[in-house]
Amino acid sequence: MIKNKTVRILAIAPLSRGLGYAVMEGSDKLVACGNKAILRHKNAGALAWVEKFIRFFQPGVLVLPDVNAADTHRAQRIKILHRQLLGWAKQRQFKVKLISVTQQRERLLGNPKGTKHAMAKMLAEKFPVELGKRLPPKRRPWMSEDPRMDIFDAVGLATTFWPPVR
Amino acid sequence: MKSLPNYLQTQRKRLSLSQEEVGFLLGLAGMNKGNKVCRDENFAREPSLQDALAYEVIYGRPVRELFAGRYQQAQQNVAARARILNFRKVRKPDVRKQEAIIQLADQASINSSNQ
Repeated sequence: MIKNKTVRILAIAPLSRGLGYAVMEGSDKLVACGNKAILRHKNAGALAWVEKFIRFFQPGVLVLPDVNAADTHRAQRIKILHRQLLGWAKQRQFKVKLISVTQQRERLLGNPKGTKHAMAKMLAEKFPVELGKRLPPKRRPWMSEDPRMDIFDAVGLATTFWPPVR
Repeated sequence: MKSLPNYLQTQRKRLSLSQEEVGFLLGLAGMNKGNKVCRDENFAREPSLQDALAYEVIYGRPVRELFAGRYQQAQQNVAARARILNFRKVRKPDVRKQEAIIQLADQASINSSNQ
């Protein structure tokens, strides 16, 4: 069992441009967050960055999105990267927690059909100093996703890890 | 949980300052003021007492919070030494001194259980 009170977590959100990361020490303490754009050899680059983050932040748990869940459809490359990350963590006997999109939306918005932007807005309100300025404008149908959304994906994963405060 | 050696980067990003700007506020000289700040943040350099106090002024957080990992380590080392001191036989027993040493020896275990 993971004692949530005394653990530092690293959440990684692998995406098409690279990855988003968030480090938390408790449900209210966001230690670091950001995104890394990886242009070539994306999976190898992402693995190298994750190793670097783990060496630097020394987390107790690695939080990853559940890419094989029934509610998720991800690219083949992301699925391969996910498998590589899991294998890497298993080799080093590292604790991993998988969180599905539905779990994330239910926990953060109380609605499994909530939008990504609503979730990002909620996170920006929860962490106004760290994320307030990074909230991208709402995506229109003709727009690509803003690279800053990687950060919100990772912070969303990290926030979902902690049990709700009653 | 073992704290990180320092939380300088977290605090700097909270204030939206650049490493160069923090370097200037610390009074660092030369062209690459940001390099020293970068090394502090990446645990590659131990800042001097003067720099640590300047960090406290800039970020508005106590040194023990900014350098939480270092503080924890120092606390554990002091507690271990206090335990040794506690077992040492003295010619003239002093109640106040004894109490202070016992408190120091217990402090680390209390704080580690709280975190």
